[in-house]
Order: sequence, then C-alpha cells, then structure tokens
Amino acid sequence: MNSAAFHGYWRTNGRVGTRNLLLVLSVTGLTGPAARRIASGLSGAVFAGTPYGGGLIGEDATAHRRTLAGLATNPNVGAAMIVGADETTVDDIAARTEAAGTPFAALVFDHTGHDALTLVDRGLRAGAKLLKTISRQRREPAPLSAITLGLECGRSDPSSGIGANPVLGAVADRVADAGGTAIVGETTEWLGAEDRLAARAQTAEVGKAIVAAAQRREGLAIAAGIDLTGTNPGRTNIEGGLTTIEEKSLGAVSKAGTGPIAGLVAYAEPPSAPGRWLMDAPAYAPESLTGFVAAGANLVLFTTGVGNSFGSRLAPTVKLTANPATAARLDTQIDVSTAPLITGEEDLSSAAQRVLDEVCAVASGALTFSEIFADGEETISRFGPAL
Amino acid sequence: MSAAAITLDASDDVATALRELPAGETVAVSHPAGQAQLRPVEGIPAFHKVALHDLPGGTQVRKYGAVIGELTSSVPAGGLVHIHNLRSLKAVAAPPAPPSEGTDP
Repeated sequence: MNSAAFHGYWRTNGRVGTRNLLLVLSVTGLTGPAARRIASGLSGAVFAGTPYGGGLIGEDATAHRRTLAGLATNPNVGAAMIVGADETTVDDIAARTEAAGTPFAALVFDHTGHDALTLVDRGLRAGAKLLKTISRQRREPAPLSAITLGLECGRSDPSSGIGANPVLGAVADRVADAGGTAIVGETTEWLGAEDRLAARAQTAEVGKAIVAAAQRREGLAIAAGIDLTGTNPGRTNIEGGLTTIEEKSLGAVSKAGTGPIAGLVAYAEPPSAPGRWLMDAPAYAPESLTGFVAAGANLVLFTTGVGNSFGSRLAPTVKLTANPATAARLDTQIDVSTAPLITGEEDLSSAAQRVLDEVCAVASGALTFSEIFADGEETISRFGPAL
Repeated sequence: MSAAAITLDASDDVATALRELPAGETVAVSHPAGQAQLRPVEGIPAFHKVALHDLPGGTQVRKYGAVIGELTSSVPAGGLVHIHNLRSLKAVAAPPAPPSEGTDP
C-alpha cells in the first residue's frame, strides 16, 4: 500500500508536490497587475492572487487570508513570491508560508516608493533566483497516500452522474483507502442527496453538519428569491438533460465514493486527517477549485457533460467526460473519456483503474490539456459586503 | 441487444436515454435486474429522461432510487420527463410557489 505510486517533489513538511512551481502570489488587489507582469517574465512561474484588499471584513477577511496562505503553501509550490501593497498583509501571509517550510520572497509596494515598475524589477530578480534554486529539486518515489484529490464537476449532463462521477468516486475510494485524501465541495449540489451523504458520515456530528450546510445553501436560494431550476442546474445542464437540483445532486455526490466521510471543512480549510472530506463551498468551478487547492489538493479530477475548459493553475486538472459526443468533439480538452462505462464496454472497476493510472501519470509530470493551455485562474470566494 | 436507455435503480420511474430515441421505436432499457422494452411516445433527446410507466400529475419521480422532483402534469409511459413537467421540491419557499415554467434564457 505504501509502495511508490508516482514520482513527486518531497517538501520539508512531508507533503509531496505533483508540480514544482514558482507561485507569484498577489495578496492585495493593487499589486495584481505588477504580480502578473512578474509571473509572465519568468519561465515556470504561475500567477495567483486576489482582486480585493483592505475593505474585506468578517468571514471574507478570514477566508481570504486562509486561502492566500493555503495557495502559498500548496505542495505543488516549490517557492512562493508574496507580493502585496502593505507590509502587514504581506507579513501575515509570509509568516504562514514560512511556518509551512515553503521557500519564499516577500515584496511590498509601500517599500518601492509606491512604484509598480520598481516592484516588477525586484520581483523579476528575486523570482529568477528562486526558480534557479527550485529547478535543482528532483522527483522521487511517493506513495498514493501523498495524493490529495479535489473532485469537481462542471457543465454536467446526465452522463456525468451515470458514467463519470461514479468513476471519480471509485478513484476517491482507492486513494482514501490507501491513506490519501479526497475532497468534494459544491454544497448546493448536495441538496436532495444530503441524507445519503450524512448517512456515511464517520460521526453523527459530521452528519448533522453536512445536512445543516446543505440547508443553509437552500435557505440562501430561498432568501434570494431564486428558482434553482435555471440557476443550478443551469441552462447548459438543462439543455443537456438535467432537470432539478435533486437530480443533479444525486449524480454529483457519487464523486465522494462509497466509504465513510471523515468530516466537513470550511472553504479552503485543510482536512485534519486523510480520508474522504466534504468542503462547504460555492459550486462555481473557479471558486471551488481554488478552495480545494488552498486546502492542499495536489491534483484535481474534473468531470463535465457538455464541456468545461477550466482548470486550476496550481494543481494539474484532469478533465473527464462520459458523454461520447463531448469526448469526440473536445479532443483537446477531455483528458480521459469514461464513455465506455455507459455503453457497457467497460465496468466501473476497470474505468476507475484507468483513471487512477492517469492520476499517477499526471502526478508524475504528464501534462493535462488545461495545463497546456494555462486555462484557469485561481479565484477566491467572497462571502459578504466590503467596507 | 445493447440498451438504448438505462434505469439506475429498481425503484426508478424514469430511464435515461443513452442516445436520441425516436418516437415509436421499441428500444431496450437496461435496469439493475436485467433488460426491458419500452416504446417512446415522443422523441427523447440523448441523456434526457423517459417515463417507464404512466405517471399521474403530482407523482414524486424517482431516479437513482431517490426523489428528483414532482410532476406538474401527467406523463404516459414512454413520455419525456423534463423541466416542462417536473419541478424541484428544494428551495421552494412556503407556501409552495406555483409550478415554475421552463426558464430557458
């Protein structure tokens, strides 16, 4: 069970990266453009950041800091460059990055005489040195237990629930049974299936928390006066054949496998132990993926029905579909087709093995289409108004 | 005969079409216990749902062995079940809102 499943980058805290990126992280909106210029000037650097800053309050402020620190300390980040407008914000994220053992550089706009070009100049020079250092690290054997999966579905149709999400669930079961971690979010898409999830919770307390989280989302929809039919499921879901949130959810939650659910975490909160976890998070893929990655996911499995090009920039995102027409039409988007499961040419176990093989190949460095096209952008959720 | 539609649970009221099903063509439907035959009374687009038996208005329709919503009108065996005749029971503020029409933008 602990034999080598893939080759990855071992970090000083014992976690393993499937990539070895220089992350240029803008922790304030003001420094986003400069941070993007720094990242675009450095081969192998990836930009992530927030468009927001000082006005964030309450849950937003807490979740933002947690997410930014989570991105900086994701195991796929070989080194982080933390760029921000003010020393307080940069120092906070830098301290959390240092605590995780991630090499970093910190750059503060206020220390440049408020000159974004000076900031870019310093960033390029510091980033070049970090890249040179991290390029010397080599991939080494790592067990399946070092995998943390983020499990997502987007632009689903009924093929997702029948032939793609159950495969993710079977892979999640294998990873979790080997001591790894799998995270499923998209709380709205538990509605109608929340009792099934709660019944699998490791403790009664977790079960209650799962039901409460789903009911809270339902309450948000009612309070907003929104008819979920047309919103979630959305237009593309409905055109693909889905009808109600219940139908979508019953197909979506099969991503969480069949084994016990260890617990429920908040948006971007890292699970405290291996196993199958739920994250109470928005369903929209860009926000959802960033929640997983900030919680430590080093690889994402993402199913689609009609097609969805988006991926994480920090965690390689494997795109899957069970819709044969989509697999044929989007042959530079879909990494794995599980359509043979629907047509009866393959059983669940062999489809799961095929996907697990792809997980290990990608974890060892094989590229996914969303990675090749850099199709994605880390997007931090918002929870309320700002000052 | 390879199935043209799939029933996921023995208690389900609907099957999911695995390809476009023309009206009047008798097709094989797979279900957990084996295979059955069904004749759609109208065209069923790929991956949409077809009623396995006559379903009166108000039926709480089952798929995956669970309720996916409530019928706003009756559907005969072989009829299409979609948002024109099925509504969600979730996020419906009390008192129940009138049946929502399709909201294709």
